[in-house]
Amino acid sequence: MLLSLNWLREFVPFEGTAEDLGGRLTMAGLELDGIARPFAALAPVVVGFVARCGRHPQADHLSVCRVDVGDEALDIVCGAPNVAEGQKVAVARVGVTLPNGMQIRKATLRGAPSEGMICSEAELGLSSDHEGILVLDPSAGIGARLPDALKLDDEILDIAVTPNRGDCLSVLGLARETAALCRLPLNLPRIRPEETGSPAELSLSLEVADAALCPLYQGRIIENVVARKSPAQLRFRLQAVGVRAISSLVDVTNYILMELGQPLHAFDLDRVRGGRIIVRGADPGEVLVTLDGQKRELLPSDITIRDTLASVGLGGIMGGLDSEITAETRRVFLECAIFHPSSIRRTARRLSLNSDAAYRFERGVDQTGAAYALDKAAAMMASLSGGSVRPGVLRVELRPWKAPLLTLRKRKAEDLLGVSLDDAFCAGTLTRLGCAVAALPADGGEPEPGTAWEVAPPGHRPDLTREADLIEELARVYGLDRIEPVVPSIVRPLSRAGSPESAHHFRIRVKQWAKGLGLNETINYSFVSHRELDVFDPLADAPGRISILNPLTDEQNVLRTLLAPGLLSALRNNLAQGSPGARFFEIATAFTADAASVTTAREEQRLGLLFSGARFDADWPQVQADADFQDLAGVLQHLLRAFSLPAADLRPADPAAYPWLAPAVTIHVGDTPLGFLGRVKPATADSYHARKPVWLAECNLDTLHGLYLAVRTAFTPLPVFPPIRRDITFICAPGITHARILEAITALPLPLLADVRLIDCFEPQGTGERHLTYRLTFRHPERTLKDAEADKQRDAVASALPGIIAVRL
Amino acid sequence: MDLTSSLESLIPALEASLRQTASLDELDEIQVAFLGRKGSLARLMGCLPELPAAERPAFGRIANTVKERLTALVEERRRHLVEEREQSYLARFDPSLPGRAPWQGTLHPITLVMEEICDVFQAMGFEVASGPEVETDFYNFEALNFPPDHPARDMQDTLFVAEGVVLRTHTSPIQIRAMLERARPPVAVIAPGKVYRRDSDLTHTPMFHQIEGLLVDTRVTFAELRGTLTMFARQVFGSDVAVRFRPSFFPFTEPSVEVDISCILCAGEGQNADGSACRVCKGTGWLEILGAGMVDPNVFSAVGYDPESCSGFAFGLGVERVAMLKYGITDLRMFFENDLRFLTQFA
Repeated sequence: MLLSLNWLREFVPFEGTAEDLGGRLTMAGLELDGIARPFAALAPVVVGFVARCGRHPQADHLSVCRVDVGDEALDIVCGAPNVAEGQKVAVARVGVTLPNGMQIRKATLRGAPSEGMICSEAELGLSSDHEGILVLDPSAGIGARLPDALKLDDEILDIAVTPNRGDCLSVLGLARETAALCRLPLNLPRIRPEETGSPAELSLSLEVADAALCPLYQGRIIENVVARKSPAQLRFRLQAVGVRAISSLVDVTNYILMELGQPLHAFDLDRVRGGRIIVRGADPGEVLVTLDGQKRELLPSDITIRDTLASVGLGGIMGGLDSEITAETRRVFLECAIFHPSSIRRTARRLSLNSDAAYRFERGVDQTGAAYALDKAAAMMASLSGGSVRPGVLRVELRPWKAPLLTLRKRKAEDLLGVSLDDAFCAGTLTRLGCAVAALPADGGEPEPGTAWEVAPPGHRPDLTREADLIEELARVYGLDRIEPVVPSIVRPLSRAGSPESAHHFRIRVKQWAKGLGLNETINYSFVSHRELDVFDPLADAPGRISILNPLTDEQNVLRTLLAPGLLSALRNNLAQGSPGARFFEIATAFTADAASVTTAREEQRLGLLFSGARFDADWPQVQADADFQDLAGVLQHLLRAFSLPAADLRPADPAAYPWLAPAVTIHVGDTPLGFLGRVKPATADSYHARKPVWLAECNLDTLHGLYLAVRTAFTPLPVFPPIRRDITFICAPGITHARILEAITALPLPLLADVRLIDCFEPQGTGERHLTYRLTFRHPERTLKDAEADKQRDAVASALPGIIAVRL
Repeated sequence: MDLTSSLESLIPALEASLRQTASLDELDEIQVAFLGRKGSLARLMGCLPELPAAERPAFGRIANTVKERLTALVEERRRHLVEEREQSYLARFDPSLPGRAPWQGTLHPITLVMEEICDVFQAMGFEVASGPEVETDFYNFEALNFPPDHPARDMQDTLFVAEGVVLRTHTSPIQIRAMLERARPPVAVIAPGKVYRRDSDLTHTPMFHQIEGLLVDTRVTFAELRGTLTMFARQVFGSDVAVRFRPSFFPFTEPSVEVDISCILCAGEGQNADGSACRVCKGTGWLEILGAGMVDPNVFSAVGYDPESCSGFAFGLGVERVAMLKYGITDLRMFFENDLRFLTQFA
């Protein structure tokens, strides 16, 4: 809301600066966003008196003037046809820069010296009028600053008005607030238009179908009007608050909207057919062309203003093109109505039609102020357009506004705010805000009866409907900043003791693990594009995805079903910056559609890991290499160890399930599936500009958390007797995996075998075979083992295994 | 040469060899050559049976003396070489060489700030709560006193996934979930999480992070809201920070406030030392960091709490905003670009 300080002062004698007012309003909940000085460039322009004016001896279209600007007289050559002796004019002296950037210099025009410029409205940035110089009122003081002489609204406060304070979307509303906050009187002069001619009701009758949609519909008829250019001050004032001046008829409706917050609409009465205005819902399938020239398809829930044939306007939002005010308009029906906020909002939103009128109706317009606004508007219109107001207000008020009667208990306010309040402050504040306040008799039922009041809020405060709203008003005026801080003692109920670790805390611990291990946390958007997801998600057409119905861009039109796209995008961003590699992790939600969920979504917390490029951050003394499967697999096993879980079982995955990974493996803990791991196929990696292998894993953190919560750590006594170790190397045929060998060894009946681990893996070139060396640890629980016993056990392994799987020694 | 002189000649022979020895490995070889099982000494000792029995004891004594002498010579040389090696290591030692560096991990600045804030509130007794990111209209709006077709809904441009289902526009639905889950006061929760709005420009990203706080008990006051948030501001931004409460509007709190802290760059002066307007607070001296208020009675009614017998406060803050202030980050979008040169500045 753009508020002119001068305009405000017409209603309230506020003496402070714009900054003072902005500060007061801000601390009362009406935040100052900024102060604009739209006419700042005009400050050095002064009022001059054209003492002499004669034709230029060398040029017919130029005049040579002698202009008195108070402290001196200037010779000025002027090209405007309308300049004349005896005028008061706007003078820019040498050195002044006008709003259009023109710099005034001393000049000689065809031999005549010129020491300044007599300005037009366009040159002053006041309008686009180039027709001639701006001629000021004869009362303007010679030498006065032009902004003062024109009473320009030169200080404009931009106030952010919250949705509950529709009443402050006007000069009057902010003046009321200023008066209440600064304890100043509000000056609202009575206005009654002069009425002539036959009663208005002889020309037009009104009918309203629905009291809820339109509690009040009223208007006046103004005749014999001629649309003109509005007076300068009105035009400049509208311009200062961002409204374009159009004509004396239309400008009045905008002026009253800005001043009183009451939207008005002026119909050309000669284009309203049948002498009747009907307010009701649109007919099914009805189409209306609105003022902006757009064809609007209407629904029966839209409020239309109609004549006896069709719609002539969309109530509270925008008029129809056919009944628009034009230069030919002579008779005006000036509508001043109240429409239902949410109905207006539904229609305006559906049609994407956000007019100033709709904006105010959505937030509530003061029904009790509508009559005043209509009278003031009618009087202004008649006076500015040379017309006359027909006697009588046409009015249908099916539902008069009724103030709610609220009870305010002082004790309740004190309990909520944590301060003690003075009776006089409570009653006085609400009274100053326009409420009718009556003390209620003390309630004898309570041991210590508190003060209470019955409060009836004014019509312009439809937001005050409950005791809580009144307490807020008290707090706001009292000053929230004056309430002393108290640190609360928070009571924790015993019933919540011993709850399992929360998902949040588990996530934080996983993040700490990842950081400690040396991974870099990323945060990626939860949405990606369907197109991007198609690469990862083999079930493109399956109902597994959750689309965004109103995405900002097609790049963000679906929720991610896995973390891989975001991690890969992060990799791409870094490769573009020349990063040699990445070790990323992210903990975030993967979303899949779930018909059984009330939110339609199944949300799974995931840990995503990505390794690509340089294994180490630094080179020497490390031996640099590209990250590979062992890096990622090792990190994954480390995660499980870190949460006291057994090693993961990594099995080849069904390639169809991960068409973008090769190799692809699934991660299981025991029989519980935990996620997947693999290398991104080069074609997919390439689309993220990755030339080096990209290894990626995702784990379901909810599952991991569940497994972790089930862990019961129990102490195992340390072995007493020393172990004996024996190494054994198998030459393995292609296809024989490490897991297969381990499985075969551990299946043998070897009661003394305590541990088997791989200690070397060698792949001679060309054979396809691998040499895997294992270290077997033997131990007897009750005595020291003899070398011969260990040898015998090792030999048992050596002789048994080639018979079970394709290995030799 | 008789056996005895052969034996005795081992000593000068070893001395000559040791003089040539520069490394411990060579020393080991020489030790084996002279004193090993098949070394020179052993070979001569092997001739013992060939001697007349009467000469054997004398030869044995000489052999022992020679063996002791040889051993002493080797050990002396060894001590010398070890000492030499040690001196040489110390002479070459360069403490400025890089270490064998383990990977350096980092947490995202959003995580760091979120955890710092959660820690402050947990120390005061708040419990961490979470909720889904896809929410129903009931939790995201209706129960929070945003009636349908109310302009308050314009305050949050919403992304929809289905009729009546949205990406949560704030963490406030977790208030509703926490109150319903606990069924009665007291409720003291802090809820960090991702939120979504249909908004993208220099100062808005469609996804960002919030932290919600809620305290409900039989008699919670606005003064306690002030105390809680002043505590938070000082813990996170320093003990000299001033806190300002301005009335505002949120549908789910009444009274509602916006909370400003004194500008951390210009210390609330509004201007720099040279008199120019402060870039961070735009000359106002204040920075808006969160919204808060006393829980609206309609919210209590929506979750079945009696507004007459309980009261509470709620607050919500933008994590990116706090992180930007705390670290002096000027571009919001950097949070989601995951540039390692950015990420590795925070640990």
